[in-house]
Amino acid sequence: MIYKSIRYVSLTIFALLIIIPSAIVVLGSSKTDAEVYNKPLALPESWNLNNFRFLFEVSNVGRSFMNSVIVTGFSVTITLVLASMCAFAISRMITVTGKILFSLFAVGLAIPGQVNLVPIFILFNDLQLTNKLSGIVLINVVTTLPISVFILTAFFRELPKEMYEASEVDGATPFRVYRSIALPLSRPAMGATAIFLFVITWNELLFPLLLITDNDKRTLPLTLLSFRGEFFSNYSMIFTAVLVASIPMVAMYLLMQRSFISGLTAGAVKG
Amino acid sequence: MGLPAAVLFGLFYFVPFIANLRYSLTKWDRITEPEFVGVRNFVNLLTNDDLFYKVLGNNLRFTFLVVLFQTLFSLIFALFLVKNTRANIALRTLFFFPTILSSVSVGMIWLFMYDPNFGAVNLFFTRLGLENFALNWLGSEGSALYAIAFTQVWFHTGQMMVIYIAGLQQIPQELYESAEMDGASRWQQFRNVTWPMSIPTTIVVMAYTTIQSFRAFDLIFSMTQGGPNNSTNIFAVLIYQTVFSELRIGYAATQSIFFILVLVLVTVLQRRFLSSRYEK
Amino acid sequence: MKHKNARAFKALIAAVFAISATVVPISQSFAAGESLGKKCTTEGVMTGTKSTSLICTESNGKLTWQRVKLASGNGRPVANLTPPKGEIEFWHYRVELADQRALVKIINDFEAKYPGTKIKQVVRDTTTYNNTARVAILANPKAALFATSRGAIFDQFAKSDMMLDLSNQRYVKQNVVAKGLTAGQYEGKQLGIPYQYLFNNPIVNTDIWAKEKWTTPKNLSGWVAWCKDAKAKGYVPLAWPGATRGQAAQISNSALMNSAASYDDLAKNLADLNSGKIDLTSSWFKGVADIYVKLRNAGCFPDNATGVTEAAAYNLFATGKSPILPIGTFAMGSIVGLNPKLDGKMELMSMILTDGKVVAEGIMNNTYTLSVNKNSSSRDQKIANAFLSYLLTGKVAEIYANETLQHVNVLDVEYKNVNLLNTVSFQAKNTMLAPRFLLLNAAVSDLTQDALIQIVGGKSPDDVLPDFSRQIKQKLQG
Repeated sequence: MIYKSIRYVSLTIFALLIIIPSAIVVLGSSKTDAEVYNKPLALPESWNLNNFRFLFEVSNVGRSFMNSVIVTGFSVTITLVLASMCAFAISRMITVTGKILFSLFAVGLAIPGQVNLVPIFILFNDLQLTNKLSGIVLINVVTTLPISVFILTAFFRELPKEMYEASEVDGATPFRVYRSIALPLSRPAMGATAIFLFVITWNELLFPLLLITDNDKRTLPLTLLSFRGEFFSNYSMIFTAVLVASIPMVAMYLLMQRSFISGLTAGAVKG
Repeated sequence: MGLPAAVLFGLFYFVPFIANLRYSLTKWDRITEPEFVGVRNFVNLLTNDDLFYKVLGNNLRFTFLVVLFQTLFSLIFALFLVKNTRANIALRTLFFFPTILSSVSVGMIWLFMYDPNFGAVNLFFTRLGLENFALNWLGSEGSALYAIAFTQVWFHTGQMMVIYIAGLQQIPQELYESAEMDGASRWQQFRNVTWPMSIPTTIVVMAYTTIQSFRAFDLIFSMTQGGPNNSTNIFAVLIYQTVFSELRIGYAATQSIFFILVLVLVTVLQRRFLSSRYEK
Repeated sequence: MKHKNARAFKALIAAVFAISATVVPISQSFAAGESLGKKCTTEGVMTGTKSTSLICTESNGKLTWQRVKLASGNGRPVANLTPPKGEIEFWHYRVELADQRALVKIINDFEAKYPGTKIKQVVRDTTTYNNTARVAILANPKAALFATSRGAIFDQFAKSDMMLDLSNQRYVKQNVVAKGLTAGQYEGKQLGIPYQYLFNNPIVNTDIWAKEKWTTPKNLSGWVAWCKDAKAKGYVPLAWPGATRGQAAQISNSALMNSAASYDDLAKNLADLNSGKIDLTSSWFKGVADIYVKLRNAGCFPDNATGVTEAAAYNLFATGKSPILPIGTFAMGSIVGLNPKLDGKMELMSMILTDGKVVAEGIMNNTYTLSVNKNSSSRDQKIANAFLSYLLTGKVAEIYANETLQHVNVLDVEYKNVNLLNTVSFQAKNTMLAPRFLLLNAAVSDLTQDALIQIVGGKSPDDVLPDFSRQIKQKLQG
């Protein structure tokens, strides 16, 4: 009885804690600033898309959205290709090299790339990689490699050895084994990793903040942050922008809940 | 085949890592030439920098709070929602939802929620007649770090809960059945079956939460930027400010080195502590 | 020869202005009848802001129409230069929507006028811009025109030797308000032209002010008494955003303004604070802190003041909960956005926070300083120079001013917006260039403001000042 009521109450509280702020954002995107402030939870006086129209007219949200799509697309793909090759190599090499390679990435996992903020900033400036989407892709790949290698290595190690050995006897090169056997089998693991990478790359702030100064090259989180600029007090617009930035994630989440949840869980568990 | 990844990682992770050590021995503002100052930055940081110790304290406090509460709440919610009923699955989907948002979005939302005069949090407390709880959440040094820690927990509890659920569902049903036959209460079942069996998951959850809390830069940067009076300043924010507002590259590099040391220390201690439990 | 001509020309212009001013009422928005030297009724009212305009101001104990003292004194404004073909980048930090509307229009007009010449805006919000732009521009000669804010940022850029000296440009001498040029000078060179002419002064809601029959407090005791009265009547006296350092700091200008015997003394104190020669426990700064204590104890600041964000403060003012927004003219646009009914109901207020000698009555700031990149190719520099000269013509600056609701540092601009007209009279007042920007070291400046914010938050200066002085010292050591 007590258990049941505690369960009921705490689940309700947490559910409300998620629903209420979300509602404020969604409702706020149809409101004026004065309404947002004075009646945050009331329904808007009229449902309209004025804020959206205004947002796309005057800000660079549309451009940033495309930038985020490009950066995320390339980062995730390249990371997946490199990480899966590397993971395959590690899982097939029980030699010293494999161990060294593995521990190399283990260090990267324990000490996230963020600590390299100072030298990366200087290095990228020297290499003229600032203000380029390719620069962001590069640093994204580097920071997400360790965890991806980890997840995928764990998966490749679980694959039965016999599968590889048979084809190796046939004289296939390691690359062919990787392509024609390992890759097709690892589709679920790759999918889960992809979603995991997708979410963290889409939302990444630190390195774009460091490396992008051109407003045409901004990614969405950066643009969102800029709305909090010194003279900006427009909460209805901020909420509208939050909504625009979240819509792709939310849509994908609703469509593919299961893969999302398992992807983001795999990222944590295997890591 | 592992070569491309390894080379890339070496060039853009380990090389900068070494460069960082070199910068830490200089005084450099990126306007004039760097000046070699030996270990002066290290000495200053350790002996004459109140802010550094404050940030260290904040970081440890923030990590401790987030790890403790996020693990606790995610375990509790996992226990509540472990059965695959339709309602439970719906609630899981809802609880997991914040995880997919960007930190900046979450920061913006909670900045508004915590507004002392207009925000929903204080509105709620005053409606209930609990004016004493209507605080100046992000504006006072006493509460700002806790308010952000709460936001971080709100942000990621759902994700950790799902990990726990996966772990809990692996526990063989027979263990519960036999415990029930012994007449064990719900609490005893938890103590004797669930908790020991979920320690491996706990290790994963806590390790991941720790790293996550050290990476809370995005959230803090979009909410308070370290203020008020540095009460929410953590390492990543401090380093960013030292580089960009103060143009002290050498000093920032030194701060980074201590950031790494603290991170490694916390991780090692935590693993030790948890594995010792595990082996029992 | 050249000199003589200029003087003769000036005399001619002055004569023409005088005649036209006495004969024709210049602005349609005001009742006819105002003429130079005649009596007038409302102090501060103006007929416009061209060098031909008149302002109602006190002289010899009487209110009379006087000439607006804006003229640069270097001759008649000139037309803009013609650019070569090509494309440059224009780097700046005005992300605000109104600024973007104005700048996009101005750039489109310019590009239409000079086909083949392109100006590409690169805009970042202030915080990020200040943090990253200098390094980025140093590496990017395409960024031929860029903006800096007055103070630490301008100083950092200037030190990096990346700005072209514009001293000899005719449009600089003749199109800009002379008083407004100093903020762009560095070691005797004109490294930038401040575009905005802002007033970092409290804005007052004139409706509430009239309703409560308040008069402007004349000194610190007056302000203390006013705060108590306003608070008793249920207002938040000052909508002060303690959670947004940059805007919380605006009122410190008013506190600093009369804290020393003269501007030079104040400048010296701030320079010493900046270099570590004195700290926050000096008797001068204790005096500044004491102003904050007095205001705090009188209930001037909002409850939970340190948690009030800029947005919340704007809202307090826009909803009439607070009669004064102690930020500046640049906030008026947002206020009208929040509450259109306040359009035309806002004025600037002098905030004299001393019971002693008055050095200045108000604060102004010349910022958004535009400079030409020294490292750009000469063709790109020519484009930048031409576009800058275009921005500095009255007609173009007018677009910017009226769209963004900011006053500009350009001569012969006709302000059409009622809020600008209501506040522009401050250009004729005894104003001081915002002193807080004399703290050129960002760490010192931030910590100084944080200390004052802590005091408003309820702490005692006896604890705060030594604590923050130590932190400043640590920041200055390496």
